[in-house]
Amino acid sequence: MNWRLSCILACWLPLAAHAVEVDPVPSVMWAFYHKQLLADAPFVFDARVKLLAPPFAEDARQVPLEIDARAFKGHVVRILAWAELNPLPKIVDFQPKEGVLPWLALRIRIEQATPLRAAVLTDDGIWHVGSALIDAAGGGCTAPSVVRSQPGWEEHLGEVLGGRYPRGEFSRVRVQVAHPMDNGLVSGIPEFFINHGQLRGQDDQVLAELELFPAVSENPNLAFDIEAPGPTRLVLRDNSGNEFDAAIP
Amino acid sequence: MRWILLLCLGLSLPALADLDYALKPRLIAADTWLLEGSTDNFAKANGGNIVNTAFIVTEAGVVVIDTGPSRRYGEALRQAIAQVTPRPVIQVLITHHHPDHALGNQAFKDVPIGALADTTRLLHEQGDSLAENLYRMVGDWMRGTEVVLPTQALQPGVLSVGQHDLRLLALTGHTGADLAILDQRTGVLFTGDLVFYQRALTTPHSPGLAAWQADLDTLQALPWNLIVPGHGPVAADAQPFAQMRDYLGWLDQLLRDGAANGSDMAELIRSPIPERFAAINLSRYELTRSVSHLYPRYERAQMQRLDTRY
Ligand SMILES: [Zn+2]
Repeated sequence: MNWRLSCILACWLPLAAHAVEVDPVPSVMWAFYHKQLLADAPFVFDARVKLLAPPFAEDARQVPLEIDARAFKGHVVRILAWAELNPLPKIVDFQPKEGVLPWLALRIRIEQATPLRAAVLTDDGIWHVGSALIDAAGGGCTAPSVVRSQPGWEEHLGEVLGGRYPRGEFSRVRVQVAHPMDNGLVSGIPEFFINHGQLRGQDDQVLAELELFPAVSENPNLAFDIEAPGPTRLVLRDNSGNEFDAAIP
Repeated sequence: MRWILLLCLGLSLPALADLDYALKPRLIAADTWLLEGSTDNFAKANGGNIVNTAFIVTEAGVVVIDTGPSRRYGEALRQAIAQVTPRPVIQVLITHHHPDHALGNQAFKDVPIGALADTTRLLHEQGDSLAENLYRMVGDWMRGTEVVLPTQALQPGVLSVGQHDLRLLALTGHTGADLAILDQRTGVLFTGDLVFYQRALTTPHSPGLAAWQADLDTLQALPWNLIVPGHGPVAADAQPFAQMRDYLGWLDQLLRDGAANGSDMAELIRSPIPERFAAINLSRYELTRSVSHLYPRYERAQMQRLDTRY
């Protein structure tokens, strides 16, 4: 174990109750992803990072996922999520700034039953890893596009539906963006997906940075909890250079 | 390699022979027999026998209502009928295209298989993938099962077989094409999956919960005296209708409120299920599925256009 982590575990006892060294889900891939995505940085498996998904995927193309790291509010630098057994595992890289809660909901595609991970980097340099297991009949990543089967879909590209929902201390902002999110795995169709997003508040101040990967479902559904006052702007860009802009009053 | 395969076949054969649905027809009204399935989910332990099928022994021959989840079930059903009556099967009626109701058709290829035209279309479009999914869940019980499409398009109205006038109703709430059958001679109402009782209803192909509620009104107003639900026990009172209405109303309100509050799908799936539905089997499982099927429509209905580029 890393010396720094040992020290933290020894000095900060309350952490020990939540953080364990034993992987809470059966996985043969953890070491690989720890190296690949977290560069072997210090980490703990931590139940305070809640990765909430249904136990099984009713629709493997649209699996709801909620990442809740509010236990680390004020200390979150970055949230990375992935599906271990997906052909394209990476889901999202989310960097909430001041005024945005470390919470995110979205929908993803999974190809088979898989462990899911959300790794939360706190400002002390430790990754706190939340885990879940999901069962699936499979095929979510290689299923033909539903968007592309609808004639005239190109005309709707980048249309955003959504709203703001007051929740007392903060407000929930939800959006649904018309985009096929082609992942390159369906024959003959190259990658075409929204890969970047930015939430902006008053005076165009950046509230959060968002990198999306092709594991995110078609017509991406995103939800954020924002403390900063509205209006909020969401600026999205896809890998073909299209920019989409939405204003949430 | 080949000997391994042979060994496996050798080992699995005795197991296959044990796959016996042990169907026991039960007389529930004059001339009317029920084969009641469990209220569990599809599993290797039950071979997919989670469904109610039935048959009516008329003077002119036997009318079968739904053929079950597999070829093996269809064959067992046919044998069970032969135990009860020497009369031939002369008509099959399929209530809807779901695999647990229609994949026994193979055993009735020599008989007219009637269904609503849209049921046949849906079975044609989705049958193979529905069957594949069932294979995944119940395994060997499904061996040799193939989709056999209905051969006869039913119209709403009265179908007379022997002394039994069967009133056929074309409804939509469960799959978009749902046949209900009222035997006007006995008052037995076969609801298909428009009614689930003590078992959570399923929504993968429902056109919407309002249509389903309307169908329940239509059914309840008929002169029935015994309800045979698609899943769950028969009832001589209106309890299955009351339970369906209550559950559908709760589900609709949950999804409506969720959309109005900006809840995410993952949150809705974790919603508490009211205590009064505690006796309904699989309600948590089916809520997870129903949210996935239905919530996107509720969400979109209350979202605004926000893009500013166009
Ligand atoms: Zn059904």
